[in-house]
Amino acid sequence: MSGFFRRIYEYLLSLFWLTEMDITMIGLQNAGKTSLLRVLAGGEFTIDSIPTVGFNMKRVQKGHVTLKCWDLGGQPRFRSMWERYCRGVNAIVFIVDSADTESLPIAQEELHNLLQKPILDGIPLLVLGNKSDLPDKIGVDDLIEAMNLKDITNREVSCYAISAKEETNLDAVLNWLIARAKK
Amino acid sequence: MSYSKKDEDADQAIFKVDRTSVFQEARLFNTSPISPRKCRILLTKITYLLHTGERFPTSEATSLFFGITKLFQHRDASLRQMVYLVIKELADTAEDVIMVTSSVMKDVAGGGRGAGEQEVYRANAIRALCRIIDGTTVQAIERLLKTAIVDKNPSVSSAALVSAYHLLPTARDVVRRWANETQEAALSGSKSGGFSLGFGSSAASVPQGSGMTQYHAIGLLYQMRSHDRMALVKMVQQFANGTVKNPAAVIMLVRLAAKIADEDPSLRKPMYALLEGWLRHKAEMVNFEAAKAICELRDVTDAEVAPAINVLQLYLTSPRAVAKFTAIRILHNFASIRPSAVNVCNMDIETLLNNSNRSIATFAITTLLKTGNETSVDRLIGKISGLMADITDEFKITIVEAIRTLCLKFPSKQAAMLTFLSGVLRDEGGYEFKKTVVESMFDLIKFVPESREEALAHLCEFIEDCEFTKLAVRILHLLGTEGPKTTQPTKYIRYIYNRVVLENAVVRAAAVTALAKFGVASKEGEKVDPEVKKSVVVLLTRCLDDPDDEVRDRAALNLRLIQQEDGEEVAERFIKNESSFSLPIFEHQLVMYVTGDASTFSQPFDLSSIPIVTRAEADAEDRSFKLRSTTMPTLKAPTSGAPRPSAGPSAAAEAVTSAAAASAKYIQQLAAVPELKPYGPVLKSSREVELTESETEYVVVAVKHIFKEHIVLQFNVKNTLTDTVLEDVSMITTPSDPEGGGVGLEEDFIIPAPKLGNDEEGTIYVAFKRTGEESNYATATFTNVLKFTSKEIDPSTGEPEDQGFEDEYQVEDLELTGGDYVVPNFTGSFGNVWEQVGAAGEEVTETFSLGTGVKGIQEACELLSQTLSLQALEGSDVAVSTSTHNLKLFGKTISGGRVVAEVKMAYSSKTGVALKITVRAEEEGVAALIVGSVA
Repeated sequence: MSGFFRRIYEYLLSLFWLTEMDITMIGLQNAGKTSLLRVLAGGEFTIDSIPTVGFNMKRVQKGHVTLKCWDLGGQPRFRSMWERYCRGVNAIVFIVDSADTESLPIAQEELHNLLQKPILDGIPLLVLGNKSDLPDKIGVDDLIEAMNLKDITNREVSCYAISAKEETNLDAVLNWLIARAKK
Repeated sequence: MSYSKKDEDADQAIFKVDRTSVFQEARLFNTSPISPRKCRILLTKITYLLHTGERFPTSEATSLFFGITKLFQHRDASLRQMVYLVIKELADTAEDVIMVTSSVMKDVAGGGRGAGEQEVYRANAIRALCRIIDGTTVQAIERLLKTAIVDKNPSVSSAALVSAYHLLPTARDVVRRWANETQEAALSGSKSGGFSLGFGSSAASVPQGSGMTQYHAIGLLYQMRSHDRMALVKMVQQFANGTVKNPAAVIMLVRLAAKIADEDPSLRKPMYALLEGWLRHKAEMVNFEAAKAICELRDVTDAEVAPAINVLQLYLTSPRAVAKFTAIRILHNFASIRPSAVNVCNMDIETLLNNSNRSIATFAITTLLKTGNETSVDRLIGKISGLMADITDEFKITIVEAIRTLCLKFPSKQAAMLTFLSGVLRDEGGYEFKKTVVESMFDLIKFVPESREEALAHLCEFIEDCEFTKLAVRILHLLGTEGPKTTQPTKYIRYIYNRVVLENAVVRAAAVTALAKFGVASKEGEKVDPEVKKSVVVLLTRCLDDPDDEVRDRAALNLRLIQQEDGEEVAERFIKNESSFSLPIFEHQLVMYVTGDASTFSQPFDLSSIPIVTRAEADAEDRSFKLRSTTMPTLKAPTSGAPRPSAGPSAAAEAVTSAAAASAKYIQQLAAVPELKPYGPVLKSSREVELTESETEYVVVAVKHIFKEHIVLQFNVKNTLTDTVLEDVSMITTPSDPEGGGVGLEEDFIIPAPKLGNDEEGTIYVAFKRTGEESNYATATFTNVLKFTSKEIDPSTGEPEDQGFEDEYQVEDLELTGGDYVVPNFTGSFGNVWEQVGAAGEEVTETFSLGTGVKGIQEACELLSQTLSLQALEGSDVAVSTSTHNLKLFGKTISGGRVVAEVKMAYSSKTGVALKITVRAEEEGVAALIVGSVA
């Protein structure tokens, strides 16, 4: 019986209040996707996480918005499957290891390959330069340059420098994402 | 009828699901928010489709799979369970299933939020995980599964064990590291009380604390250790002391113990002791399994089997039908091997004859038929006749087959059995049943000559009113071949001509052919009675007006053959010929001809290359096959290892059939060797002789092929070393006469095997010419030395090194004896042949003692018919008494001379088996040769 009432309550909530949105988090391996998601969901930062085989799903509650975050594996064999999980989402988050300049060209290529797909047209993109706490990171402007973000025209694009470890700039990320929910 | 039809329709209305609509509906998975209830229904539909045999094409399966992965966002426990079920099913067809690994692992690990609910689907997650994982990623889940194996929740533990079982083939090394955990799981389940599982008790009692984990753990431990016998023995002994409570797990141990006892004679005693202990286990199913295992032990002694029979006897009077059934079934199977041991239960079995459960009653009868001696046969047949009326066709067939075996075993009882068979032939029954009866009568006619006339009379009566065309045709054919040999052939002609008048075209045509045989054939050696011939001609002439083409053609052809002046010979060839081609080889050759390249087509098919099988040979094979197929237990226990070589008294009979099948195989092999072409067809191939132990570095098996003037020794060599390659493998074979003196053999050539990698088998042929004249049957002992260049494999490259060293390896000697020149053969009457050969040829008698190595008459019988390569006649291959026996053997040499042997045996436990062999042979020197091969 209580389950029944709870369901009605949840239904009413969802009608007036709660909004759910889908977010897909992609990026090359070891960019820090899984760690970022864990921190966003309120967990502790751990340095020794294992590579994601496939994907992880986590819900992040922020105010009256529930973010359903799909954290996809970044190893080459999973990259072909990114597209499947990017269809119809509210925003795509592309995470880059800003301290690993060597992999930037590959990240750039993978991102542009993905965004060429017509089915993904118009979906807002947020590029995050993770690991800004490390000494040899590059700045936001350099990152925009390196990722060639100026060329992406048919969608909203933003770029932030963050650190999942130090929890810098994470609020900005959440706010940006929630702002996309209205659309 | 109409009701059930309606029901079917209703069924379809409920499950009106088809693949395309389900695939369309799968969009549901991508909606937000997710409705767990709707998704579950859709997932149920998918499983329904998969389980009714529908297959999704790869692309559809993949997109379904990715749709389903979206459902991981919902934490509904039952939805998650369903998701895992479907993932497990789709894992084989869909691509990229590895995608869900991380998510599944999270569920397997447990803990975190909602841990209580998660417990429900952890087991499902584990089972799904092992299906989606591939060999390279197993290590990533190793820690997870290890903890799951020792989990306190039995369903999780079981799921982990079963998953490990499935992972074993892909990641053997990883899984083997889990042995300690598995061991722990096997022992942990014992705290719960064993559930009293009879066969009938419901499965509902299984889940919590049933100790099923023990069963799975023992199964997995066995798989891990299956190659290490000592570890298996240790395991069985460790668990046998009562730590394992679950009956299913104990049954697993029973089977293991039986397997170990079978494979290693030295361990037989301790294993038997365990099996005997399990006979007193408190679960019925364990008792049955142990009894069955004891009954199936190789060469089980009467003393060993007695406790098992005792236990089964107790169950025969159990009030529960299922226990009775199981007991009688085990006894039935054992009765085919050792009827005398089951005798003690006869009283109890007889009370089962009137059991209302027909399956039990049928098994009871067939068991009694086997255990009964000659005197009880009449009484039993009387009992059965009363029962036959109210059982179904399937049971009738079983009974008729048992009777048929009995006929072959006790030819003297043929009269009573024939009456029985003709009685049931008159009863109502379907085609299969009538066919079995008719075939049984055929066998009687073939193998028990005394019954011929009466059986033919019964068959004649049967075709007067036979609704099955196929059977009528077969009977007419038989009348054609057997009728002319009887004292009064004219009697049958009337019956046959009646068919011509009354039946359909197919039967008429068969009748015409049968009639024609009366026109040319008669008893052996006699001329055809001109009166009979004249009437046949008259009858055939009438058939020329038949409305059917085939009938007219046959009549015209046969008339022409019969009437031809000096046409005896032609008619003999076309009408009386009873030989047929060896059909398996014929088929093979035809296939080769049709599928070969175009050039073979330019030449007509060469029929002369097909060996011809005479009727007597075909009969010999047929008879041993029939005896074997009906006496051997048809249901073997599913042993968990490789199938065991069958034990039992029919090994002798089996040798004949398997030799026939083997020789067909060799003929194909030998035909592929061009050097052997000029030797002509192979006349006889011996059984395989092992020249090494099966565990040595090089396993050598030899086969002796006898050609008209040559002998070819075929050595199959297997290299079992993992790190070496053998090259230029040849065999140095030196023949020597055991009695000294000259050997009539001259080496012709050797075909070595060029290269043998790890676990590869190669064939070496060594050919000898027999230097004497054709009837020179040279005997010799060959000493064999394997010669080869061995090269080690470089572990880093996997390539063999350039430099090898030459090596030699001595294997055991190979004997070429008189028996190798003889082919088992069948004749209906041993007495006749014995006298005929005795008059024409020579006789040699000798006495031997086989020593105490041979245990009992039965073993001696098998041994003798195998080494002499002769066919046992008149059921003498089954020893009735344990102290004395008379074995009658018959065969032909490769050039066609008949060989008959009579062996009188006496057995006492002190001295073993003493033999007196008398061999009569038509050809000179053969008799001595055969006797010599026993020594």
